[in-house]
Amino acid sequence: MRDRNDGPSYGRRVTAAVWFRPSQQNIVFALFAVLFVLFSLFLHGFLTTDNMLTLLQNVAVLGILGLGMAVVVIGRGIDISLVASLAVPPGLVLQMVQNGHSLPYALLTAFALSLAFGLVNGWLIAYAEVPSLFATLATGLFLAGLGQVALFKLDVVQWSPGMNALTVIGQGTIAGLPVPILMFGLTAIAVMLFLRLTRIGTYIYAIGDNPNAARITGIPTRPAIVLQYVLAALVGAFAGLVLAASVNSMPTRIYNSTLIYDVILVVVLGGIGLSGGRGGVLNVVIGTLLIGTMLNAMTIMDVSYSGQNLIKGLVLLVAILADSFVNPRNEETAQQGDI
Amino acid sequence: MSGPILELLRATKRYGGVPAIEEVDFSLNPAEIHALVGENGAGKSTLTKVMAGVVTLTSGQMLVAGREVTPRTPLEARHLGIAMVFQENSLVPTMTVAQNLFLGREKFYNRQRGIYIAAQQFLQSLNFDVAPTTTVSLLGAAKKQMVEIARAVLHNAKIIIFDEPTASLTPEEKKYFFDLVFELKRREVSVIFISHALEEALQISDRITVLRDGRHVVTDDTRTFDRARIVQAMVGRDLSQTLYGARKQSTRRSGRRVLSVQNLRMVPMVKNTSLSVFAGQITGVFGLVGAGRTETFKVVSGVLKRDLFHGGEVMLHGRRVRYRTPAPAMRDGIVYVTEDRKVEGFFETMSIARNIYVGWLARLGRGRMRVSPREAEIVGETWIKRLNVRAISRDVKVVELSGGNQQKVVIAKSLVQEPDLIIFDEPTRGVDVGAIAEIHQLINRLAEEGRAVVVISSYLPEIMALSDRILVARQGKIVEEFSALEATEEKIMYAAIH
Repeated sequence: MRDRNDGPSYGRRVTAAVWFRPSQQNIVFALFAVLFVLFSLFLHGFLTTDNMLTLLQNVAVLGILGLGMAVVVIGRGIDISLVASLAVPPGLVLQMVQNGHSLPYALLTAFALSLAFGLVNGWLIAYAEVPSLFATLATGLFLAGLGQVALFKLDVVQWSPGMNALTVIGQGTIAGLPVPILMFGLTAIAVMLFLRLTRIGTYIYAIGDNPNAARITGIPTRPAIVLQYVLAALVGAFAGLVLAASVNSMPTRIYNSTLIYDVILVVVLGGIGLSGGRGGVLNVVIGTLLIGTMLNAMTIMDVSYSGQNLIKGLVLLVAILADSFVNPRNEETAQQGDI
Repeated sequence: MSGPILELLRATKRYGGVPAIEEVDFSLNPAEIHALVGENGAGKSTLTKVMAGVVTLTSGQMLVAGREVTPRTPLEARHLGIAMVFQENSLVPTMTVAQNLFLGREKFYNRQRGIYIAAQQFLQSLNFDVAPTTTVSLLGAAKKQMVEIARAVLHNAKIIIFDEPTASLTPEEKKYFFDLVFELKRREVSVIFISHALEEALQISDRITVLRDGRHVVTDDTRTFDRARIVQAMVGRDLSQTLYGARKQSTRRSGRRVLSVQNLRMVPMVKNTSLSVFAGQITGVFGLVGAGRTETFKVVSGVLKRDLFHGGEVMLHGRRVRYRTPAPAMRDGIVYVTEDRKVEGFFETMSIARNIYVGWLARLGRGRMRVSPREAEIVGETWIKRLNVRAISRDVKVVELSGGNQQKVVIAKSLVQEPDLIIFDEPTRGVDVGAIAEIHQLINRLAEEGRAVVVISSYLPEIMALSDRILVARQGKIVEEFSALEATEEKIMYAAIH
């Protein structure tokens, strides 16, 4: 027992890790591929163009939300208020247009509301140093409540003719592709460019990796954190517009649904660690594809709603367990420097 | 029984290849008060952590009452009768004294009244004046320590280890603590205590062991020691001479005054400290842990938050400055290279080049919106070459590097920001021998280039090898200044120990 020499074994692990990194991203992607092939072979009606398009269209909104969440999670936070961002500002657009305001004016107001909401979230987390989970839980409740109490007349805000200019983002097709899928793609590219190619994007990774180090390095960490939440709120509102356009209304009670869990599922399943600094847009896409495939197949197989939840929960558990097996915490390095 | 109650034979503990203690022999007699002294980093804490089961030995043996043991957790050590009272309190602050005493040994039906009565009787038998119903967070430092001791005795500890027990006590409390230690001795409990205060060691211990550089120097009866002999044993070293190069023969002239600090105050660590730092030379800052060195320079570089700042002035190039975050300090040319690179040094998920590039981006600030992977590689490659960072592959993550290479990455990330004033805090802590020499060369080169360099270190040979001027900190103040030529290790140590 006593000759447990940690040095060499650490070295071995490093070499192994360099040769093959069974990251969660790869595991989930493999799982997706296996499921996809299995369903294509054995599930009648799965591998058809129509079904593929339906599959993608159904997860487009979820994917866009996942992108917003990803920005925050990479920066070592979480935004529980994302569904409120999705429901309330777009709901406000529909309501204002219904009340006779012009569409651009309504959009501008909703934009201002989202911006303010993101700023409040960011200020609470970066400056008042409230843990992101609690801050966004509270602000999300507040915004959803505000919408239901003060802004909307009915729980479901109906589409009105004034909105028709926006119908295309939910229901149109371009070159045979449904526009929601395109919107997901465009958002993915925009978020990817932001994260990879801008200075702030790099800052967000640095903050998520090690906030103390980021601060000492001279990164303005607080403004960068505020920006994350502003971006999340705006992306959430955009997802809301796509949702409203595709179902021709804004069901504001969506705030009370389990949608936020699905968003977290997509992000975590894709391999963006909740500890921050890891992953990117590709992970969200992979997570979304896997969830989309599963949901679609379960629908075809006529699995009940509760049954679907059960399976989603199981898959998430397996993914998280796999992650902690392949990326264990290294106790030895944690002790280094403590002589 | 006459043999030692606890023995360590050729005990060695390495952290990732760096030995913290090496081939140390140690023995403790029953009912003995044994003082453990040595500089910071001499291996005292590691040695006691081994005994307490916090870390396990890399090689060597540990014997309790003649039987070989390997405690792997503090709980296992406790079953062997070994308890450790840590510098940081390990009590649960929101619980009462009695609840803390019985924590972990509650019965299934845990009647509060029962444990209060038991605790009361037990505390009285020890002659401890603490009410068992008091919440621990309301107690002062001395009383908390009392509770910790009581808990150790309650757990039938035959050996109690204290890490710097008197550091946070007032003189009266210290006296009371010593009485407690004698009381423990009467109860046939052996006591090991780590102390920086040599007078205390001389006053209360039966035997003293001196460690230096992770090795055992001497163990002897206390009456054969005096202050001078201990200090000499602590610092007189031959090994480090070869490791750190010879002492300085000449010093660099001081250039412009870059930084001056006047009457800086910050609770609780910095009390009215004043100092100056000049361009073109290395200012060494020596002091024992808790002397307020790190805190002083963290205030200067904006790392510490403002609510801890209690007045005083910081002048940079003759201009009064007060940084609330490190970002503006960095733009004005001050960088701080941390003593704890894992917690606030590098980004572990990023490659070496990327780490350095993040420092570069932060320096460019608003001047740069776009980043390019190509540029990151060029910047990274330049600095990897310049500082000779060695890695098995270019994409290897920083967390997988050796301590020395990690430190080089952290330094590169700061140097890429083109600072005028560089503050190195313990620049070679947990760094392998080869890299120490390289880092020292680099630090010398920076001073030669005309930058102002501050080296904070608790390791005397490092201070002696690098500094042109030496400042000695003690209890939140700079108490003494030496030029490198007039300083001796004994003089510096004498100034640093209260």
